[in-house]
Formats: sequence, structure tokens, C-alpha cells
Amino acid sequence: MLQAIILVVAQTIVLLAVSPFLVGLIRKVKARLQLRRGASVLQPYADLAKLFRKQPVVSTTTSWIFTATPYIVFASTLAAGLLVPIFVSRTPLDFAGNIIAVVYLLALGTFFLMLAGLDAGSPFGGMGSSREAIVASLTEPAMILSIFAIALTKGSTNLSTIVHKTALLEGIAMDPSPYLMALAALLIVALAETGRVPVDNPATHLELTMIHEAMVLEYSGRYLALIEWAAGLKLAVFLSLIANVFAPWGIATTLAPTAMGIGLLAYLLKVSGLAVLIGILESMFAKLRLFRVTELLGVAFILALLGLLFFYILRS
Amino acid sequence: MQISSHIGSQLVDLCSALLLLTCFAIVAQRRLSACVDLFALQSAFLVLTAALVAFLTGNHHIYIAAGLTGLIKVIIIPRVLKKVIERLNVKRELVMNVNVPAGLLICGALVMLAFFITQPILPLGFLLTRDSLAIAFAIVLIGFFTMIARQKAVSQMVGFLVMENGLFLGATAATYGMPLIVELGVFFDVLIAVLIAGIYTNRLQDAFDSADTSHLTVLKE
Repeated sequence: MLQAIILVVAQTIVLLAVSPFLVGLIRKVKARLQLRRGASVLQPYADLAKLFRKQPVVSTTTSWIFTATPYIVFASTLAAGLLVPIFVSRTPLDFAGNIIAVVYLLALGTFFLMLAGLDAGSPFGGMGSSREAIVASLTEPAMILSIFAIALTKGSTNLSTIVHKTALLEGIAMDPSPYLMALAALLIVALAETGRVPVDNPATHLELTMIHEAMVLEYSGRYLALIEWAAGLKLAVFLSLIANVFAPWGIATTLAPTAMGIGLLAYLLKVSGLAVLIGILESMFAKLRLFRVTELLGVAFILALLGLLFFYILRS
Repeated sequence: MQISSHIGSQLVDLCSALLLLTCFAIVAQRRLSACVDLFALQSAFLVLTAALVAFLTGNHHIYIAAGLTGLIKVIIIPRVLKKVIERLNVKRELVMNVNVPAGLLICGALVMLAFFITQPILPLGFLLTRDSLAIAFAIVLIGFFTMIARQKAVSQMVGFLVMENGLFLGATAATYGMPLIVELGVFFDVLIAVLIAGIYTNRLQDAFDSADTSHLTVLKE
């Protein structure tokens, strides 16, 4: 029991500590690819510390939803992160929810962000919320289908079981096609859900294009810090999900201290590698026009559907 | 032997999965020259699949068919089509009979249809490529759908060629390839068909100043 509590606390600390680093790493990679020196990878930590010290300004026209949303978003994203195996393949909280719970915990945060965007009554907030609603409604089926494709090949929707089985090379003789399709679909979904370049641009506040930034435009001080941190957490959750479901090797399958040390190191290497990949992808592609986003997410949906179909077609 | 044939069968499955994936890429792609490039890529995957089947089964005549596929469908036909596109004043297809997301969904449904139709036949086969039959059937259906959904002559030609690729994969999957003389005839047919269709597209361009085949419906005697 005590061991489980320590593990959960350790996972919380790792997730909270890693997420600003990933955001900083992506910015650094983009800056280097543009031949700029760029800010230090530790800059997001300093930003968060600064924002937490600032006094928040809340519009008099807002209701309780506006002030409650940062806490709800932060808590639901962190809860989703605790259900994903990070450096130990069996998370102590795996009884609390499966992979479907992770999807809808993240969706809960998105839902409240959309409400908060509408709450202040500013035109940008409403615009951002409506765009986020488009993106969220299209990513959800793609994400659920790709998750089903993985769950079918492993015979379980429980993330800990999926990761544990893959890490122990059980059922490795399965056909690779459903996995590849699901991986491609999840990568597109991750880019769309975390507001990355082909869908949204996290680096600008240009009113014509912004989605996430438009929703959180009214926030300041510690509320903004919580929302920014939650956005980083969401990125960390998606990267951990992709890294540990598709390449769980190195993750600790036992609770021995050395195994956990190796697991932590492997985890940091994997998510950093994925963050660098996202930085490169962001530099390679231009942001899509909003009405072309549906086509990209349609492709993600079809990839996930194909992953599911290949499981049945190529079963023998 | 057991394990190597298992891995071989998986590799064939993976290649045919990639073939199907390029089909979807063609359906989603609006730029005509990119469609042709994707067709060349699909044919390259087909060559790889055929070569794998030839290697795994020791049927050497499939190597010849694979080599011919590489020569005709990866090199010659894409070049002919690129030449045709250069003469056209349209580089991308803006108006389609079915828009892209709906087209992708319909193609997903076609894959399911192909799967359900081939499902009762599969247990009767003992070849290591029998899983590819459903995929081959799906590729034929998607090629057919592309011909219906697109308006420009070049993308209709790409749809026709995708269908042909599906037939070749189906023949390889079901019977380890047709007799060589039949294959040769088919290759010759396809090549001539593309050349004729290319000339016809150019005529269309000259007559209507567009490669849109829907203009042909208003022709009168």
C-alpha cells in the first residue's frame, strides 16, 4: 500500500517536472532549425514561476466556471497522466480506469476550456471554442478507433496490461500492420489535440488562426500558469502514451530500484526523442487552413479504421 | 521453416497493407502530379510484394512479372502521365463529385465490404498470401470509386491503373500469379490503354480547353 502511494507520488512528480521541459525542448529544436539560438529549454519553468507570482485579473462578467476551469483542466489532465504507465509498466492506479477513461478525462478538460472560452463573452474566446469543438469532435473517433485497434491485438483495454504484455514481448508475433496504422493515427491525433502546427500554431497570437490561444486569451496570473502547465501535461501524456504503447522497451516490469532507474532513463530518452520529432515536423509543415483540418483528421480516422480492419483481415 | 514462412507471410501482409494505404493517399490527394507519384509508389510496393512472393514460393516466373511491373508501372506510365499533365492547364482538382472526407469514409466502407465478401472464401485457401485477397479486392473497388469520384481525365486514368494493380495483387494472392503469357498480354494492354488515354486527354484539352470528362456528356452528333 505504502509502496503504491510512493509510486503514484513519484509518477506525479515526474510528469509535472517533465512537461515544461518537453515544451521548451520543442521550442529549442524549432529555433535551431530556423538558425536561431532560441531560449533555454528551461525557459518554460521560469515562465511558470513568473506567472504564479503575478496577480490574476478576472473580468467582472465571468461566472464561477472561469475561475474553476484552470483547476479542473489541470486536475483532469494529471489524472489522465496517472493512468498511463510512465516508467513502471504496472501503474498502481490501473484499477481506476482503462485507456477509454484516459481519453475522456482529457476530453473533460477540453470541454471546460471551451466553456471558459465562452464565459468571458469576448469574441475571440467564442471563436476559439467553436474551432476547438470542431477539432475535438473529429479527433475523438480517430483516437478511440486507434485505441481499439491496439486493445484488440493485446486483448485488453487496460493500459498497464497492454504495456506490460508488449514490454515482456508477449504476442510479439502479431501482425505489425494494425500497430503501424494506429501509431500513424495517434501521432496525427496527438498533434491536433495538443494544438501543434498542422492544426494550430502555439507560437502566435494571430487572431485569424489561433485555436487554443484564443480560448485562454482572458486568463492571466496563476490561472494562466495552471492552463499552460496543463497544456504541457497533455503533451507529456500523449507522448508517454505513444512511447510506452508502441515501444515500451526499457520500462520497469518489476519494482526493483535498478529496473526503475533504467525505466526512468529510457522514458526520458523516448519522450525527448518524440518531442524532437514534433519540433522537426512543425518546422517541415505549414499550418493547414482551418477547413482543411477536417481532411487531415479524416485521414487519421481512416488510418485508425484500417488498423482495426487489418486486425480482422490479417488475423490468420 | 514454420517460423520463416510465418514471418514471410507477415511481410507479404504488411506490403499489401501499404498498397492499400497508398490507395487512400490517392483518394485524399488533390494535386494531379502527386496522384501520379503515389501511383508509382503503390506500384513499387506491388513489385516488392510480388518479389517477396516469388522468393518465398520459389516461383521464378513471378520475378519476371515483378520486373515488368517495375519497368512499366513505376517508370514508363508515370512518365507518360507527367507529360500529359504538363500540357494541361489544371494542376489540381478542385471540384470533385464526392468531397475528400466523404470519399475517404466511402473507401473505408468499401474495405469492409471487400472483407465481408472474401471472408467465406479465405478458409478454403492454403496459400501463404491468402489474407491479401481481401486487400486486393478492396484496392479494385477503391480504384473503381476513384474513377467515379474524379472529373479530370488524368485522375480517372490513375483510378484505372489502381484497379489494375489490385487485380495483379489479387492474382498473385489467389494463385501465385497468372501464367506468364497472360501477364505479358495484360501489361501490353495496360501500356497501350495509358498511351491511348493520354492522347485522348490531349485531344480533350484541345477541344474543350479542359481535361474535365463531364464535358463529354454534352457532345451531340
